[in-house]
Amino acid sequence: MRSLASLWMGIGFSVVVLAQSVDPKDLLHPPPDSWLTYHGDYSGRRHASLTEITPENVGQLKQVWRFQTGRNPSIKATPILANGILYVTTPDNLWAVDARTAKELWHYENPRNDAFHIGHRGAAVYKDAVYLTTPDCHLIALNAKDGTVKWNIVIADSSKGYWSSNAPLIVGNHVLVGISGDFDNLPGQLKSIDADTGKTQWIFYTTPPPGGTEPESGGATGGQMWMTGTYDPLLNLVYVGTGNPTPVLNGKVRPGDNPWTCSIVALNPDTGKLVWGFQVSPHDTHDWDASEVPVLVDADFNGQPRQLLLQASRNGYFFVLDRTNGKNLLTAPYATVNWAKGIDKTGRPISNPAKEPAKDGVLIAPNESGATNYRSPSFDPTTGLLIVSVQDGYGIYFFKPEHGTYGWAGADYGVAGHAFLRAIDYKTGKIVWDHPIGDGAGAAGVLTTESGLTFSGDVPGNVIAFRSSDGATLWHQAIGKVGNGPITYELDGKQYLVVGGGSSLYAFALP
Amino acid sequence: MRQTIWISVVTLIAAGIAIAQGPARQAAAPGDGQAKGQAPAPGRSPASLPPPQTLTPQTYPIEQIQAGEVRFTSQCGFCHGRDAAGGETGPDLTRSTLVAQDTRGDKIGPLLRAGRPDRGMPPFDLTAADLGALVAFIHAQKVKFETLGGGRRSVDAADLASGKADAGRRYFNHKGGCSGCHSATGDLGGIALRYQGLQLLQRMLYPSGQPPPAPPKVSFTLPEGQTVVAPLAGQDEFTITVLDPAGARQTYARSIVKFKIDDPMSAHFDQLGKYTGKDMHDVFAYLETLK
Repeated sequence: MRSLASLWMGIGFSVVVLAQSVDPKDLLHPPPDSWLTYHGDYSGRRHASLTEITPENVGQLKQVWRFQTGRNPSIKATPILANGILYVTTPDNLWAVDARTAKELWHYENPRNDAFHIGHRGAAVYKDAVYLTTPDCHLIALNAKDGTVKWNIVIADSSKGYWSSNAPLIVGNHVLVGISGDFDNLPGQLKSIDADTGKTQWIFYTTPPPGGTEPESGGATGGQMWMTGTYDPLLNLVYVGTGNPTPVLNGKVRPGDNPWTCSIVALNPDTGKLVWGFQVSPHDTHDWDASEVPVLVDADFNGQPRQLLLQASRNGYFFVLDRTNGKNLLTAPYATVNWAKGIDKTGRPISNPAKEPAKDGVLIAPNESGATNYRSPSFDPTTGLLIVSVQDGYGIYFFKPEHGTYGWAGADYGVAGHAFLRAIDYKTGKIVWDHPIGDGAGAAGVLTTESGLTFSGDVPGNVIAFRSSDGATLWHQAIGKVGNGPITYELDGKQYLVVGGGSSLYAFALP
Repeated sequence: MRQTIWISVVTLIAAGIAIAQGPARQAAAPGDGQAKGQAPAPGRSPASLPPPQTLTPQTYPIEQIQAGEVRFTSQCGFCHGRDAAGGETGPDLTRSTLVAQDTRGDKIGPLLRAGRPDRGMPPFDLTAADLGALVAFIHAQKVKFETLGGGRRSVDAADLASGKADAGRRYFNHKGGCSGCHSATGDLGGIALRYQGLQLLQRMLYPSGQPPPAPPKVSFTLPEGQTVVAPLAGQDEFTITVLDPAGARQTYARSIVKFKIDDPMSAHFDQLGKYTGKDMHDVFAYLETLK
């Protein structure tokens, strides 16, 4: 393995000139030797057209290199690959790594700060810049060539309780960055920053902005947009899932549905204006944000070709929407759920008041960490399956008036859960296969390829290749807990799988 | 390969590990490892007692506690709550037995430096000053929550008293099927003296925490038909790990050993989908009478 790496090192330096610029147009049609955005492309499908690695030969995959950050925090970021360079992040850190040799080219470290450090989803690239959000809510544009700072701006006040773990989504010259923060009563915001100058272009608030008096959110704050959205260039709409309302467990002081918390919103990326919204958890009191990936799929539905949006949401329900107008086509549970009385005529689950947090405790499925969470799913167009890292679990939720009206305003405890990789038929919501991956919840995202393979990780710490059609295990390697979404690309005519295990990044290929 | 595996299983037998027909492995006594000071004072309801009391009272300078609060929020707050009283994935540290037993970081320090990778907690590389500050803040929060008795995140034992013990006993013995594995005078005798309030409820729903419940038992069937039983120490889709009599971990490829796992916890998990809210509170009320 090392000899192979050394061989490449030689070739790399002799014949490959590393260009650092990314043409923003490439984001629309990413070439196979790249992974240019958090989800690989704008659709959020995390499906690669590469076919060198197949169900027949995947058993021969061998480790090609391992890049160690040398730090404790595990890698939860999807790496970006542009011009032969991988960009991978942990909170406050970004490494540029030669994809051929795993050699560190440069490392940027944000100064130590006292904001929330929970994980980091990744970087973004545009022209000759790499963008990094930080826990203390800076957005930093770095020169892709050497990691020097082009500009560094503040996107929110971390002393108020905001932080950022967001992998920016770049659309045209807009760097769309989301901000987190549900320990405090703060409005959720998505910011559009000019990719060249760092100037703010617009801010979309999910709940009324500070000092705002609009009554439509019923007094709720929150609705943070902490995960990376998707984009339809033909409709020119950006889709983002929004977070839960605050106060989190005390719903009594924020009556009504609390739009646009726990929603999928469609925004015009040039203006930040809301085009439509669909609320997957009206009046949430369980911390079930709807931040999970809105996956864009063009496929038949009820015999008609449709422009669809799929989301397996944290609240345990799978949604199919018409992404041109936000109208619901299907709502179906895909995990253990006991909190809804039914589905209303617009496709939204109807919350059961008996499952609101209570003084003596209420046993609720899913638990707080949800039926799924930040870990990205993948849509395989061949089988029509959305493959999701799922937890079937229960939690116990408490609220009494003494818990107050600020921040969490209640208490909840996970009881138990089991983790699965689960394949959902997008046309019916039915579970086609279900593969146990351990106790608790998995941490890995999912990748599918055109050859019929699914890559993900289990709870104990294996990266696993599954057959997409039936979930059978075809290959595995123990590399430590996979905390990110695996990626694949073709470099110098060879297909690679790159995945994070613990605080290392591993590359695999056929011999 | 096959030969090697079986030799090690045979070694388990030779070393005298519990054979199927032998005496069952004793579960750890439920009170083991718990903080002292739990015995109820005469005339006082055990359910009114707070969580594990700090074994060695300790005080810290206010500056150190404040520095610890900043570090805690930044590094620990997302999982354990900014107030250390539990968060999205991390337990409530103010009710932690380990914290109750800690003296100036002697237990918290090694845990932070090693992490708990199996439960998703990373190791932390901390300076002595940062570690000291974190320990100071965690202990200060514990004292605060013990004395407040009604804080922002609190669940008091009295909050849980909505069930009927009679109905709980009937559910336990009939519909719930609990008495298939448990006995009010056997393993659960005095359970309400060992756990109270939220801790008892959590232990009832799905036994976890300190002391850990007895691990599932793995019964290996040898080629000659003999059975060897050993406690499960870990497993994934590809391997199974048990403890040998010396307490060492022995890992086998699942594909080349014949075994069965007896996991009593699976019945607890299934029960979570069967309880109504009333059932749950009734059974809890019944367990509270087992003193």
